[in-house]
Amino acid sequence: MGRFIASENIPVLLTRLATDGAVWAPAELPDSGESVVFAPWQPGREVVLDRFTQMSPKELVLPMSERLLSFSYTLTMEGEEMEVESAIPGGHTVIFGARACDAKALVVLDALFHQDPETTWSDTQYRARRDDMTVVTIACVKGTADAACFCSSWENGTAEKAGSDVIIYPVPGGFLAEAVTIRGTEVTGWDMFDDSDQPLPELDTTDVVDFDGLVEKLVTPGVFSDLDFWGRESHKCISCGYCTYGCPTCYCFNIYDEMQGDRQGERCRSWDACMFYNYTVETSGHNPRPTIAHRWRNRLGHKFSYYPANQGETLCTGCGRCIRGCPTGVDIRDILRAAGEHE
Amino acid sequence: MSTIAREGVKATEPLRPEPATVVDVIEETPNIKSFRVVFDDPELMQSFTFLPGQVGQLGIVGVGESTFAISSPPSEKEYLQFSVMKTGEVTSALHELTPGDKVSLRAPLGCAFPTDEWKGKKVLVVGGGIGMAPLRCLFMHLMDHQEDYQRLQLIYGARTPRDICFTNDCKLWGEVEELDFITTIDTEHPEWTGRTGLVPHVLEEEAPDPANTIAVTCGPPIMIKYVLQSLEKLGFRDEQIFTTLERRMKCGIGFCGRCNIGPKYVCVDGPVFTLKELRELPDEH
Amino acid sequence: MADLITAIKKVLEHTDLVLGWTTATSTGVAAPARFYTADEAEAAVFDSTCVHNLAVHLPRLKDKDVGIVAKPCDAQSVVELVVEREVARGKVKVIAAPCRAMLDVKLIWRRFGYGARIEDEGGRLQVNGREVPREDFILRKCLSCESTDPVIVDEQVEGDGHTGGPPDVGGRTDDLKERFAAMSVDERRAFWAEQFSRCIRCYACRDVCPMCFCRDVCLMQTRVPHWTGGSVESRDSEMAQMIRVSHLAGRCTGCGECERACPVGIPLLLLMNEQYRLIEEMFDYRPGSDIEARPPMQTFSIETDLWEGG
Repeated sequence: MGRFIASENIPVLLTRLATDGAVWAPAELPDSGESVVFAPWQPGREVVLDRFTQMSPKELVLPMSERLLSFSYTLTMEGEEMEVESAIPGGHTVIFGARACDAKALVVLDALFHQDPETTWSDTQYRARRDDMTVVTIACVKGTADAACFCSSWENGTAEKAGSDVIIYPVPGGFLAEAVTIRGTEVTGWDMFDDSDQPLPELDTTDVVDFDGLVEKLVTPGVFSDLDFWGRESHKCISCGYCTYGCPTCYCFNIYDEMQGDRQGERCRSWDACMFYNYTVETSGHNPRPTIAHRWRNRLGHKFSYYPANQGETLCTGCGRCIRGCPTGVDIRDILRAAGEHE
Repeated sequence: MSTIAREGVKATEPLRPEPATVVDVIEETPNIKSFRVVFDDPELMQSFTFLPGQVGQLGIVGVGESTFAISSPPSEKEYLQFSVMKTGEVTSALHELTPGDKVSLRAPLGCAFPTDEWKGKKVLVVGGGIGMAPLRCLFMHLMDHQEDYQRLQLIYGARTPRDICFTNDCKLWGEVEELDFITTIDTEHPEWTGRTGLVPHVLEEEAPDPANTIAVTCGPPIMIKYVLQSLEKLGFRDEQIFTTLERRMKCGIGFCGRCNIGPKYVCVDGPVFTLKELRELPDEH
Repeated sequence: MADLITAIKKVLEHTDLVLGWTTATSTGVAAPARFYTADEAEAAVFDSTCVHNLAVHLPRLKDKDVGIVAKPCDAQSVVELVVEREVARGKVKVIAAPCRAMLDVKLIWRRFGYGARIEDEGGRLQVNGREVPREDFILRKCLSCESTDPVIVDEQVEGDGHTGGPPDVGGRTDDLKERFAAMSVDERRAFWAEQFSRCIRCYACRDVCPMCFCRDVCLMQTRVPHWTGGSVESRDSEMAQMIRVSHLAGRCTGCGECERACPVGIPLLLLMNEQYRLIEEMFDYRPGSDIEARPPMQTFSIETDLWEGG
């Protein structure tokens, strides 16, 4: 027996979820060219579940910018004292309306950021957020995937369950709900859901990219050192950061300090992008990745070779945001396929 | 490459620095200063251990952090030393520091020279300019355990006499009989009576025997390039040669993404690499 | 006057490459392309999905002789790049293409799904085979297009469309622009605070801008001088954008690429238009309209009486 929630009960569900913590759901923004992004949900705010979001819910585990710690200097009789106070996030977060690719991306990020602190480095702030979160995913049923999607390149495709607590499937009049985790069973057990014996609707399939062998191939000198190839393939690119910022798995960041007055301040981190020249430039002026070609080589290498080799996961889930949102029409699949065919 | 020793950095909160205080500032050259710092937490200072080649993220909260090799040896329990060349925002701010000033420190980070594996061998250390910082730590560590090694040799070069760092140490090392120590400057100079000649040339003149020898080099990229050629000429194999790399880093724990050379992260897989390991990496330096 | 492909081939005889468009096989709309040979040029297209301003690539191709297929607004960027000495006039050939207003491809795909089939012929727009009101999907910048005939034309492509004067926008006006114009200062402040609260600091606005040629050493990102914080709080993002806007004073030709590129749809052209209007009022200068011009920010002296037209 499955569970069903009527469309008009979605606000009831969201209200209930909001008693556990901050609910983030896709919303269309005013005067934004119809942009849909994850935004804090409040009663009365419309949730957009039938269009793709321009930004992924990654920002809820790795915020665009966050305080890592605050510090202050004080003068005492013994001299100057410096105090450092960690900023550890607290409170439950609900991601409502992620896609299977977004939810899986959290698991992909866990492979680096949520490792066991007993054996290796692990990210304090990431873990605090990730350990206290509910993910409700909207299934990509027939007719909802678009031409930029390519999650079917992985075994589970649109049927991927990793990272989700609950998956809701749009059906006439509402949504069928499938619990994936214990938390999911708890949520779908609430009384805004009813029992249902409707079968789950069929899921969509997407374009497929074959990246067999790329883990090794992308580090072979033949492909790696062929800068003309990377230049040709990336000629449209203008080296902005959208493909990495929109990406649910790109995680690179910058750390920097901001003073508030001259006695106290904060150490912060913000998203950074491997497509920026400034990302790798050294104080001497030397830059190991001086051109867009170098940076594309690293971006593709990181996603489809280095991260899989080091962390055992492809650093991509086929969500297609980098393709939909690229201002100049770069399609990462074209470059992947070209690299696959590179002699 | 060796395992991570990381008593100073809390694994559960690796981006949090420990407060520390500058106890001494040594002017090495017109643009290089060495800073001796102690953790404000006396327990941490006492339990702190590291291995030669490991680095720290030294900084000033409010300005930022940068990666520096620890240039004091592990046996030095009174302080940690970092030698800093003034180049950018953080290093310029560090150069303003005087004893008593506060710094932030995350250390130790990165991998160390596998000095245990070198026991019973001869070790040749070749340094240039500020590149001597990690090598000072290594060389002093090797001297602390001199009985474990067959022979220790150090060739240290600088552009002019004024560019020589660690002059006090150099004086001391010059007086130790069992050590094979050469300082050289690039070209003749009125203030200099010692050896002259570029480091690779001096190395070739000295022609150390590669048999049962480990060579370690660090210095300006151009010097490293020619030292490696000279070592090759002398018959050193790639796996006998160690160097330590520098890259722009932020997190120091392999997360922030910028210091990789292909799949290897200089901050966690390095900064110490054998030449053999470097040659296996994609060409992106 | 020649057809597009002939024009490109002709220009290729004297240049290393031509920047133009070809049809992307996956979506059927135009995508930027580089043509090096006459054979490659056979694939060239020009239609109402050629939204990108290809002049952004010129400063990175300084060592090459480059031809560029340009809409009237793109051609203004080329002119201003020559004026700013970022591009040598002798090294660029402008292939002027006629334009009858570009489509907001991003908006169409946000509504109908990425890759939805777009057919725009004879003033009728069809998406996935269904007719939709063309005027609803015209790129916002085209609604108040003031581009005139390009002042440099090396080859003129024949075709249906304007080369100067207002394009065919089906009588639609720019509702957002009108609402913005009617706002009080406080309302504008609130408007921008809200808009910039979703800025993600991806710098697509800067990187897609032909006139943001400082690019890799941009003040929006530097720590020294530390003019703006690195956070995505509205005040930091707004400050970063204001640095950019003021740096583009007397350079910006109003091509609107910043707004088109913004992944979260911040209507940046409102800012650029306002700045453009001020520069025109103060200095009687319209960037991109005169190849012999000396931009006001390069000739400005403290004695200049700003409100008397320079």
